[in-house]
Amino acid sequence: MQLPVLNDAPAAKSGCSASSCGTTDSQMDSLPDSIREKVQNHPCYSEDAHHYFARMHVAVAPACNIQCHYCNRKYDCANESRPGVVSEVLTPDQAVKKTMAVAANIPQMTVLGIAGPGDPLANPEKTFETFRRLSEEAPDIKLCVSTNGLALPDSVEELSKHNIDHVTITINCVDPEIGAKIYPWIFWNNRRIKGVKGAKILIEQQQKGLEMLIAKGILVKVNSVMIPGINDEHLAEVSRVVKSKGAFLHNVMPLIAEAEHGTFYGVMGQRGPTPDELQDLQDSCSGDMNMMRHCRQCRADAVGMLGEDRGDEFTMDKIEDMEIDYQAAMEKRKVIHAAIQEEMDSKRLEKARKVETQNFASLRTRPVLMAVATSGQGVINVHFGHAKEFLIYEASPEGVRFISHRKADQYCGGDVSCGETESTLQTTIRSLAGCEAVLCSKVGYEPWEMLEQAGIMPNGEHAMENIEEAVMVVYLEMAKAGKLDTEQLRASA
Amino acid sequence: MAVKIIESCVNCHACLPVCPSNAIYETKPHFMVDPKKCTECEGAFADFQCASICPIEGAILNSFGEAINPPGSLTGIPPEKMAAAMAELQAH
Repeated sequence: MQLPVLNDAPAAKSGCSASSCGTTDSQMDSLPDSIREKVQNHPCYSEDAHHYFARMHVAVAPACNIQCHYCNRKYDCANESRPGVVSEVLTPDQAVKKTMAVAANIPQMTVLGIAGPGDPLANPEKTFETFRRLSEEAPDIKLCVSTNGLALPDSVEELSKHNIDHVTITINCVDPEIGAKIYPWIFWNNRRIKGVKGAKILIEQQQKGLEMLIAKGILVKVNSVMIPGINDEHLAEVSRVVKSKGAFLHNVMPLIAEAEHGTFYGVMGQRGPTPDELQDLQDSCSGDMNMMRHCRQCRADAVGMLGEDRGDEFTMDKIEDMEIDYQAAMEKRKVIHAAIQEEMDSKRLEKARKVETQNFASLRTRPVLMAVATSGQGVINVHFGHAKEFLIYEASPEGVRFISHRKADQYCGGDVSCGETESTLQTTIRSLAGCEAVLCSKVGYEPWEMLEQAGIMPNGEHAMENIEEAVMVVYLEMAKAGKLDTEQLRASA
Repeated sequence: MAVKIIESCVNCHACLPVCPSNAIYETKPHFMVDPKKCTECEGAFADFQCASICPIEGAILNSFGEAINPPGSLTGIPPEKMAAAMAELQAH
């Protein structure tokens, strides 16, 4: 199915040459139809789709062929949500069963990815066996894979056989000197190779793999981990290089580093970027290519919508007891996917119509960040106290744009061993730093007061309303109340 | 003459396919090396293949019982730094 083209971008010759991403529009609006058609129901690739569609990862790939300074292969914690962490490694047969069980029970699940916990292409037999069986037995599921790229050139031929049209490569640098500060070693041609020499080989393989995938017509997204003081200034260059080779989306993610993870960066006290630093970098790269801002850096066995993890409902012992009629499930899924697509299309058309009729450009007000509590469908539908994460939007005279998400609770459950000194509520409010309003379906009395004290205006008046419309309404109210007057701001500064 | 995998192994599978002698096998609680099959890669490779891909320091011992990858050699974290960080966490 083709989506109508709503912007004026001319039809692209190929890939990303279409146009650069406007930062005020939805990131997908500038993509050529051929790509948008492939990603419109992929929650990891389309910001729009992530409000509606779910994904899952199966952890069939435990081995890795490199070491990254932000990863610790020893770690496994059920309360943790970050890449490389899993609870149980599956065989390809178990992975196929699990995928079909999830697809039948969560019909909006459209995408199956293999992302670890090691490197999928360092486990080629397990990874490709899983893909081969799924492409035969569950043909309505999109398959994708993410890799560090070292073994990618050797795998491109095989990948193209299994109906995989999405590959993510993690590329943190294109300079081996910087690479040596991120990758202590690689395993290559039967040797462990350390330092700059190892990093150089890895970078060459990543770039070669990227070029080969593009030549095969496979969509490539590039992930980069932003590490302040190591590669933060270098990532704009990475963005330029990968775009020029045809990657269609760049996802810059913040470094996660805590001493308790036992990673090099965690133990050595390397800090991650602040939300402001991350946003500045994403904005500076967005002139060159489409930037992704909604990544949740999920576990290698995550299940569900991006902001949630329903892995507990699909452990192997539970799956063994499930009877799955996949043919029937596929029929049901088809109907549900079509309904979701229809809803998305009509919202997209409505949004485009509103953009035409509404004009805020006459406003002389400053931009404002607002936090939104949502569990999907593009509406405000979560109670403040129940929100596990908030989506951050920026409202300005140019309109409303999605910026990022922020976790409300910490990465772990916060039991006594974590040595927490502040309440969950305080942590949540602190995570909203920089926001001036929070929109949710309801807010309790205690958090209401604390939010106000923190300078964040609680707002429960737009429950079940469209996020972007509600954010604009609140913005206009703030403007009317004189809260956004730039003159006044200057005077008080 | 054989290497040995000890309990700090995290069962990541990386060593299994690179062994030229098929000496490594999957078992509980962790992977093991069949000492009758292990050749220490002699005549095949300059380095122990299993220990060249293993990500865990200290998990594989040589025939003298010494860690082929001693603490700090793979992660780059100085052992005293790691000990201090872990002590700090324990204190909480």
